[in-house]
Amino acid sequence: MITDLEETPAGEAFQTVTAPPVSPVPANRILALDTLRGIGILGGLFISIWYFGGLNTNQQNGLLLHSKGINYRLWGTVDLLFNGKMRALISIVFGAAMVLFLVRKHHENKLHKSDLFIRRQMWLMAFGLINSLLFLWAGDMLFHLGVMGILLFPFVRLKARALLIAAIITTLIFSAKNYWNYADDRMAYSKFVAVIDFEKKISKDSLLAVQQKIPAREQKKDSLSKQQKDDKSAWEGIINSRKYDPKKNEEGFKETRSASFGKIWNYILPNIQYREAQWTYQTGIWDFAGMILLGMALLKFGFFDVGFPRQKYLLLALTGLAGGLLLGWYRLQYNQYVLQDYTRFIKTNRLPYNLFFPFERGLLALGYVSMVLLMIRSGVLKFLWWAFSRVGQLALTNYLAQSIFCLLYFTGLGMGYFGRLQQYQLYLVAGEICLIQTVFSVIWLKYYNYGPAEWLLRCLVNGKWLPNKMPVTELSGPSAVIS
Amino acid sequence: MDNLASQASGNDPDLPIENDSPGEGQEKVTDKRAPHPVDKADRILTVDMVRGFAVLGILLMNIPFFGIDGSVIDTVIRGSHKTADFRTMAAIFTFFDGTMRGLFSMLFGAGMILFMLNKVETPGGVTVVEYYYRRLLWLVFFGLINAFIFLWPGDILFYYGLCGMLLYPFRKTRAKWLIVIGIGFLSIGVFKMMLWYNETKTTRAGYLVAVTAEKAKIKLTEKQKEAKASWEEIEKNQRPDTSRVNRNLRKMHSGYGTIFNYFVPRNANFETWGMYHGIWDMIGMMFIGMGLFTLGFFSNRLSTSTYAMWLLAGYGLGIPIGYIYFSKGIVGSIDFGPYLDAYSVPHWVLYDLRRLFLCIGHASLLLLVYRSRIVPWLMKILASVGQMAFTNYLMQSIICTLFFYGYGSDNYNKLKYHQLYYVVGAVWIFQMIFSPLWLKYFRFGPFEWVWRSLTYGRKQLRN
Repeated sequence: MITDLEETPAGEAFQTVTAPPVSPVPANRILALDTLRGIGILGGLFISIWYFGGLNTNQQNGLLLHSKGINYRLWGTVDLLFNGKMRALISIVFGAAMVLFLVRKHHENKLHKSDLFIRRQMWLMAFGLINSLLFLWAGDMLFHLGVMGILLFPFVRLKARALLIAAIITTLIFSAKNYWNYADDRMAYSKFVAVIDFEKKISKDSLLAVQQKIPAREQKKDSLSKQQKDDKSAWEGIINSRKYDPKKNEEGFKETRSASFGKIWNYILPNIQYREAQWTYQTGIWDFAGMILLGMALLKFGFFDVGFPRQKYLLLALTGLAGGLLLGWYRLQYNQYVLQDYTRFIKTNRLPYNLFFPFERGLLALGYVSMVLLMIRSGVLKFLWWAFSRVGQLALTNYLAQSIFCLLYFTGLGMGYFGRLQQYQLYLVAGEICLIQTVFSVIWLKYYNYGPAEWLLRCLVNGKWLPNKMPVTELSGPSAVIS
Repeated sequence: MDNLASQASGNDPDLPIENDSPGEGQEKVTDKRAPHPVDKADRILTVDMVRGFAVLGILLMNIPFFGIDGSVIDTVIRGSHKTADFRTMAAIFTFFDGTMRGLFSMLFGAGMILFMLNKVETPGGVTVVEYYYRRLLWLVFFGLINAFIFLWPGDILFYYGLCGMLLYPFRKTRAKWLIVIGIGFLSIGVFKMMLWYNETKTTRAGYLVAVTAEKAKIKLTEKQKEAKASWEEIEKNQRPDTSRVNRNLRKMHSGYGTIFNYFVPRNANFETWGMYHGIWDMIGMMFIGMGLFTLGFFSNRLSTSTYAMWLLAGYGLGIPIGYIYFSKGIVGSIDFGPYLDAYSVPHWVLYDLRRLFLCIGHASLLLLVYRSRIVPWLMKILASVGQMAFTNYLMQSIICTLFFYGYGSDNYNKLKYHQLYYVVGAVWIFQMIFSPLWLKYFRFGPFEWVWRSLTYGRKQLRN
């Protein structure tokens, strides 16, 4: 029954954010957030595994170009359902957890533990740097979550409505960024066209000159200026970077499969730095901020509370899923046109194919969250949600473990499967990892309060060693839920 | 009108209001019912004074970037070493390069501690730490305006706002540790520079092998061709290139729209990489500044002999190292290839060390002058400039961009290197008159007032 769920001693569940042992919020809300976080961590792996395993953008482009066959459909489905949505889901939970941690219930005016919060964020950044620079995972998001928590700290006090508006504005900015990037491409193309026209003109002129026997010194300048050459090569560069090239991957495969840490590091470092510097500055801030603010707003609207009406969950779930899938389908269609012939696309389309991606992922993530909460409330699949909540309690540990596992499985430091697996095989690996992590989380939490990484983070934040043993008297397990 | 603090905060009589920003008049805001001890007013005056000195000094380093194309520096260094241009450059680089930014960072760190410590938490009110972070987020915003609206690519406010967010958990750390951590951060910067240097050296070595092979008429391998090309690329970017210079000049003499479009990607690039790779330079100095402030260094709490000792040590070590850094590291590396071949460790490793010494030297000198009461009026003026540091810093961007850029009076690249410093002098005089005058009538500088009002979410008192 639902009441059983509420009674699950999940008071410690929220501990990834170093809440006090006695939490002022009801257990059910925390359990729900843990479940969602667990889903995000496991679901995200199905996207990360592409890059862990060597199915890079170039190869994805190849799949998309094919536009038929099982591999294409599989990729499209996973992209539609998971890509960006799991990060969004984690961000939503992160935002909600932030408010829960900082704003004490019944004391809306008083923030507590700001100090712990900021320190925790800074340690998260450090964990993120370890995850990227040491475990060599260029797609790390702990660093970003650490940064974003600090940047959005001043917003935690805003009212639900204001937060929702802020979320919509940041998501709009994300869309606008996609638009501006596309506008730059269009600009590059129009410059390219101007240069090509000029080239045609001078070749015609010189032909004329030859026919009319005009002496060479009287001819007009017949070569391109440096600026024109740059303009020409700029567009050619854009086209080339988008073109699917089956041979493009060889070097990356070779470097990643090499057994030397230094070699792999050198190869991956630019990607890591791109992700942490440029991507963050241009896109990442808006990507995360929109969803974190949404999470904050949802929490303040009472969305995660026990009393939130089921009809609203149903409505939000249906709207989110329908809207998100529709926008995603539209994006995939247009992405295909882009890959087939970018020049033609640019000539005929004023808007980029990914203009609505920020809304697609937001809607879909919101749909997922509502759907899961509805099912938890209705007591459907209880065991599953409980298992996911265990994974979510160990979110940090599981997230880092994924990097370590994939480092050892895919690179030359371990078994070197990078680029050697088919797409469906990658998903099988991801599925196996999810299974192992779920079992591990369940067992671990039988004996300990916190996951190893969560415990370490807590110790670092508090500046002292803290115990991690589960008191014998406390019982937590599926029995409490199932009975 | 007696209790200014309660006036400003409406219903919240205890709203913390003092010592807000680096560059605000602390002694002005004291509650008149409870006058502060003299030494407190004193203490704050010296912090403002050093800050005023730093904000004026920052223009020394910025003015070439406002006013001339980078290729001029190259020309001056390659030309005769007896010109006024070269001598000015030698003096500026030896004494000031990086030190004013350093002092500014140090005082920014000190400002964080001042902000946190001078405020009383009010039960039920917005906490001090929240004001601190709101304030910094607005600072980031002002930095974006400075970079993208005033079009100043050298803006530091953006970085300071973000760096400041990392300082808060260290507000109670002991001075010794703050300084150790600060030096550690600076060392990371040096280490990163060394990594880059070694990488470039490897590229250069590959190029040399390829060239030798070419001379011996051996056909180059693909790898060798690549190595050759990548060094040539580096060298090309190092040297001023006529078409690039002309393009820059053409853009800078144009209207606002052209310069805006020209600067947007450039500024974005600066901010991206500056924050990611350049953070150590700023945050290191901020930590050291917090440490020094905790020790009482900026607040005039050390003995005269201690300041004298730091003056001697700072200048005694900083100036010679600074000269070596300039003559070998800047002038010597103008031909980058041979420099790479000659040195396995570049002179640039000295940069932060000399900066640190000179910063301490400058500050000690100022404090000694203050104590000796030779020119009390000048010290007072500097303190006013420092109280309005934020306004003065932004004003420098506004004045200089309007003076040099095409949409203003279009003086870009028209002055000689040493003539730029006449402009600096003029700006200094203006700011040194403007700041005390403004503070006579108003409580905060204009931009400080806007910043505070935004931070506290309500209009602040003007006078």
